[in-house]
Amino acid sequence: MDEPKVMAIVNEMSNSGKRRFLLFIIMSMIVSSVLVVVSMQLYNSSGAAQLDLSRPGYISVRSQAMIDNSDFGDYSSTGSINQSAITEFKSLYKKQAQKTKAVDAFGGDPLSAKALGLN
Amino acid sequence: MKISKKILVGCLALAVALSSVVFLHASALSTLMTSRQIQQIRDNCVTAKNTLNQLHASDALLRVNIGQTYESISTKMMEKFNKRASNNNYNNDSLVSVTNAYGQTLDVFRSDYIAYEEHLSTALSINCQDQPVSFFDAVALARAERNQVHTDVVRLNQYLDKYQTALNQFEKDYQDAVKGAKQ
Repeated sequence: MDEPKVMAIVNEMSNSGKRRFLLFIIMSMIVSSVLVVVSMQLYNSSGAAQLDLSRPGYISVRSQAMIDNSDFGDYSSTGSINQSAITEFKSLYKKQAQKTKAVDAFGGDPLSAKALGLN
Repeated sequence: MKISKKILVGCLALAVALSSVVFLHASALSTLMTSRQIQQIRDNCVTAKNTLNQLHASDALLRVNIGQTYESISTKMMEKFNKRASNNNYNNDSLVSVTNAYGQTLDVFRSDYIAYEEHLSTALSINCQDQPVSFFDAVALARAERNQVHTDVVRLNQYLDKYQTALNQFEKDYQDAVKGAKQ
């Protein structure tokens, strides 16, 4: 095989390789875009977005998020049932229930037209 | 071909009818507000948006903290005690029943909060200077959803009381069983 023919074949293969590489890059971008859209959809629909205090609008309250809830104790699901076990659980439960009920969560009417000065 | 033309005409007629209904509804909402009210919304637009932004953040924090507490009460307390009672062959039907109802209400609370947050975010995204009526309506929708979340919280607290009652009954049954065994 003479030299010009060899060069032509090499060039053709090189062009074909470039096209394939470009196709590979484009396909990778399409696949990653689809995955990003799907994951964002899941992030929004699962409720994770509402709990994500790392979002920009929540900077002011981020530090107040409850990280440790060890005051729930570690009541074991194994062991015998006796008066002492029942009393211990009742005491733990009462403490947590009272603490939780003391918070008037989502009460009041801060979104009323009057509160917002809209009427 | 004739059929497809008929379908096309039918679809057009339906679209016109639907858009008329939407337009009439929107007009009805708009006419409920006087120009003075609309002006007041424009005047207080910035203040209202700031308040909404603060509420958005504080409610998110509340949702995280109180949601975690409700979740922990279920998984770290109720379920563990129910399992322990069951492992010892005690009748825990009423405890399990309240725990299940509590869990279902907790699911409703989660989904209602998502709906509330979405409506509040929609309200925040509306330019209240340009679209005061849309802003007012979006805030009204968010308010209704927030009230629903509050109702869920009240129901969850009622289930906490019901579990306490079931627990007292369980203790009484246990004491009766112990007395019966001694006699």
